[in-house]
Amino acid sequence: MAVTAEDFGPTISLEGARKARGNLTQARIRWMVLALVLGFGLVGARLIQLGMVVPDSTIEGQARDVITATRPPILDRNGLEMAVDIRVPSLFAEPRRIIDVEEAVRKLRTVLPDLDEAWLRTRLTGDKGFVWVQRELSPTIQDRVMRLGIPGIDFITESKRFYPGMTEASHILGSTNIDNQGIAGIERHMDNEDVALLQELGLARGNALAPVELSVDMRVQHIMHEQLVDALTRYQAIAAAGVMMDVRTGEIIALASLPDFNPNEPATALVKDSFNRITSGIFEPGSIFKTVTMAASLDSGAVTINDDFDARFGVRFGRYTIDDYKGKHRVLSLPEVFKYSSNIGTIRIMQAMGKDNYRAFLTRMGFDQRVPFELPEMRLPSIPKEMSEVSAATASFGHGLSVSPLHMVTAYAAFVNGGNYIAPTLYRRDLAEAQALYQPVIKPSTSADIRYLLRLNAIEGGATQMNKLSLGYRAGGKTGTAEKVVDGAYSSAKNTNFFGSVFPMDNPHYAMIIMVDEPKAENMQSGVTAAWNAGQVSGRIIQRVAPMLGIAPDFAEVLDQNLTPPELR
Amino acid sequence: MIRNLNIILIFTSVLMLSGVYALKFSIENTASERTALIALIDSQEGDLSLLKADEAVLNQPGHIDPIIKRHEMALAIAPVKQEQFGAFEALPMRPAKPNSAAMDTLFESLEAGVDPIDAILELEGIE
Repeated sequence: MAVTAEDFGPTISLEGARKARGNLTQARIRWMVLALVLGFGLVGARLIQLGMVVPDSTIEGQARDVITATRPPILDRNGLEMAVDIRVPSLFAEPRRIIDVEEAVRKLRTVLPDLDEAWLRTRLTGDKGFVWVQRELSPTIQDRVMRLGIPGIDFITESKRFYPGMTEASHILGSTNIDNQGIAGIERHMDNEDVALLQELGLARGNALAPVELSVDMRVQHIMHEQLVDALTRYQAIAAAGVMMDVRTGEIIALASLPDFNPNEPATALVKDSFNRITSGIFEPGSIFKTVTMAASLDSGAVTINDDFDARFGVRFGRYTIDDYKGKHRVLSLPEVFKYSSNIGTIRIMQAMGKDNYRAFLTRMGFDQRVPFELPEMRLPSIPKEMSEVSAATASFGHGLSVSPLHMVTAYAAFVNGGNYIAPTLYRRDLAEAQALYQPVIKPSTSADIRYLLRLNAIEGGATQMNKLSLGYRAGGKTGTAEKVVDGAYSSAKNTNFFGSVFPMDNPHYAMIIMVDEPKAENMQSGVTAAWNAGQVSGRIIQRVAPMLGIAPDFAEVLDQNLTPPELR
Repeated sequence: MIRNLNIILIFTSVLMLSGVYALKFSIENTASERTALIALIDSQEGDLSLLKADEAVLNQPGHIDPIIKRHEMALAIAPVKQEQFGAFEALPMRPAKPNSAAMDTLFESLEAGVDPIDAILELEGIE
């Protein structure tokens, strides 16, 4: 039997140990190469990926936002800076990095001797990573501290608000605290509006913020401030305040109240009596309120400018008699009532329209609520809800009710601009914008009558002293002397004096209220009533600012004659 | 083949390693340059803000007014008075037009050889 290969199983081939190992090594190397290629591939891919990504650098510096966040600069209507941000160094310490606390305290106090030693020691001791030592220093002090070479002490640049006008517009601007948040004035209003939101979004960095333009004219503001300071010394008054408004647009051109403070040192705002008397002070307006009564009665049609009123005897209410300050004691025409500032005549004029109608008119003029205005410092006026015959009578000449000077200037503006109430504003507003906001409160014909009365009062009445100073600028005005309540009774020795004025009367553009609190006579020849102080201050201000505001003097008498209503010509 | 591959890989590794290091150092360099520039810009912005604040102070009417008052006497300046303002109506009228007819006759007579001045001189006895 033949032996065939088929009968055997597969051929046994034995590989040598070397070959077997060689095969194994080769397989391993192949795997290794694969792993290496994969590894390099991974690294390469990651590199390519990193190269493709654009790094987001905006995240950087976000942490610094809180302290270097800026506020928009505030400009006046001519583009002059009223508030700017400056960068100042602030000193901080990292207590955990300080090696010798005693040495650090001793050295620091050589440069900053104001720092309390014990306070500084506790501040620098401990394991904290960051503490403020002193904020908002000058660059010189920064240099000197750097030269001390204390480890763990460093500077960071912060934004600080700076007001180049110093005290001049303090009540308008208000102030900011050390963390750059508005705490008063327009600064606070801005925060409530939008800056806080911007800072939250991280947008309020760098100089990207658009400046805020105010309606204030710093030139006029300076003159008003200067004249009020002058009034304080000239009349030895305890306070003085003034506000000027554009009667067509409601823009506040100037607003000052003394005593004031320096917004660069917010602590000075806490000085007694330095509140804003224009917005948050409410006073008995005195006779400047007669203009309101005149406008109310003339507009109601109950009286006309031709009417006469019996002012021979005082008006009796039970045991009280209301009399005139310097009474004529005769029958007076309506313009004469205004000219001689007759209390009796004004009561009769108010009575002609009726006390309820009069009260309703006060509401229409916004006298029983806050004036819509940007400044947060505001106080509610105090006006009786229901008026008795007596309270309506006293209210007609500005007693027994309290309103802010801002109320008065807004009312005066409405009376002369054709009879449209326009809320005052500290921001820019053009005429078209303002006209959309107009609320008619009196008829244009009544407005013309009031213009005539105010100008007449300047030519012949109680405002002649003002007119003497502002001759040619066709100013009109009304004095108001309100006796102060001392120990529950009106005192004839202490007055709050007001002067409401408008210029130029032939084409009214600006209304102004000036207040002088408790003035004394300037000299032996002068008096203490409003014409002698508030009136003169108004005259001086108009004389200085009218040319700046583009009003040329005109002595033509025909301009005044044109103001006279046709029925009186 | 594997040996060659190994050599290539080793060389590539060394090359890439040195490349990566070079890149790292150059990036660090650029970063420190950038930091220095940011610090410089920051300090310059700070200086600029101070200068701008200075300018704003110098521009304030409240700053300029006292200077003017100080030099009021020397410069003989004062706030403008109402009477100092002029009006277009206050300007004098334009002078009357020259008498062109008389001039024409003068030139005509001169061209004709008659000199009126000569006649006057002769009359006065001046030659």
